[in-house]
Amino acid sequence: MGVPRRPVEPPTAEQAAFLERAIAEYGKATYNFAYRLTQNESDARDLTQDAFIRVYRAWRSFQPGTSFLSWIYRIVTNLYRDELRRRKGRFHEEIPEDNAPQEFGGQRPLAVTPIEDYVEGQLSEPLSQALQMLSPEQRQVVMLADIEEYSYQEISEIMGCSIGTVRSRLHRARALLRRLIQRQQQQQQR
Amino acid sequence: MTQHLTTDNIIDYLHGELDPAEDALVHSHLQACAPCRAEFERESSLTDALRAYAHAEERDLPGMVKAQLWQTIRTQRPSAAERLAALLRPAIAVPAAALLVLVTYFASPLGRPTAQLRTIDVMYYFEQHAAEQMKSPLADRNATSSMLETSEAAFTGSTTLPVRAAAVMDAVR
Ligand SMILES: [Zn+2]
Repeated sequence: MGVPRRPVEPPTAEQAAFLERAIAEYGKATYNFAYRLTQNESDARDLTQDAFIRVYRAWRSFQPGTSFLSWIYRIVTNLYRDELRRRKGRFHEEIPEDNAPQEFGGQRPLAVTPIEDYVEGQLSEPLSQALQMLSPEQRQVVMLADIEEYSYQEISEIMGCSIGTVRSRLHRARALLRRLIQRQQQQQQR
Repeated sequence: MTQHLTTDNIIDYLHGELDPAEDALVHSHLQACAPCRAEFERESSLTDALRAYAHAEERDLPGMVKAQLWQTIRTQRPSAAERLAALLRPAIAVPAAALLVLVTYFASPLGRPTAQLRTIDVMYYFEQHAAEQMKSPLADRNATSSMLETSEAAFTGSTTLPVRAAAVMDAVR
């Protein structure tokens, strides 16, 4: 019995219950967040699963009274950034915003673009198509600001960037969305 | 204010991100200026469209995500059969409770399992938990099975029982 004592971290029922509750309450929101970010179901599933595994591992670091959703969105954001780096070898993070948006014909952010998702998605909708033309950061800032209704401050915490960056990304993303939608509508009218 | 609002101004206003003084200026300008109001309406309708789109596109969490999540967590640990076999061997010779070694596995961030093993010394476990074990609702069963059950239950999330032992290693001999 001469084994030195070490800290114990047994998986507890409390930990399991925490995860269960997190999935029940925030699983859907997290999945939708991941889906809007990745624009495909398979990546969204993986991202959601990996995010909750992080939650499971780090559950003690969650501060009661703070927003769980902000926490897991930040986890998803970081995982997605890592995944993009892994797939592309680099991340668009600091490309000047003027050049970041891909006009039509630009590359989608992920190499994986299941054609089924493409067809099943509401591609006929100008907005859907326009959203896919945004850079991942632009899409995310639009989602967080306009769909999730987070403040610039909260978004800066989730995305790990300054409020100024949030503001300029949102401005450019929205300007681009409007241009893209307009162009789509013009094309449809022809 | 004679100068028209910028679109950036309008976007910040729309998101409630202006300080009170600026907010008031924009608000009153919009009352008085039709072109800026038109621009505000365009920005507003973009937000409305985004929300409507998100709402229409909302998906339920696929059941497989949750199933695979627990599966991933579970499969990073020895199977119940392995643990039972490991448990029973030493249990023949010595009190089982004194031989338990806690093992915790953690998932890797991207779901590629890398098992991380942590052990504590047996006496530590015994001191900390033997007393609780005695008064637990499972105390009337033998310690071996109750510990296995609670550790299993923790990983299916189906219980609130306190979990003390995750596994018994065959290293115990
Ligand atoms: Zn004006």
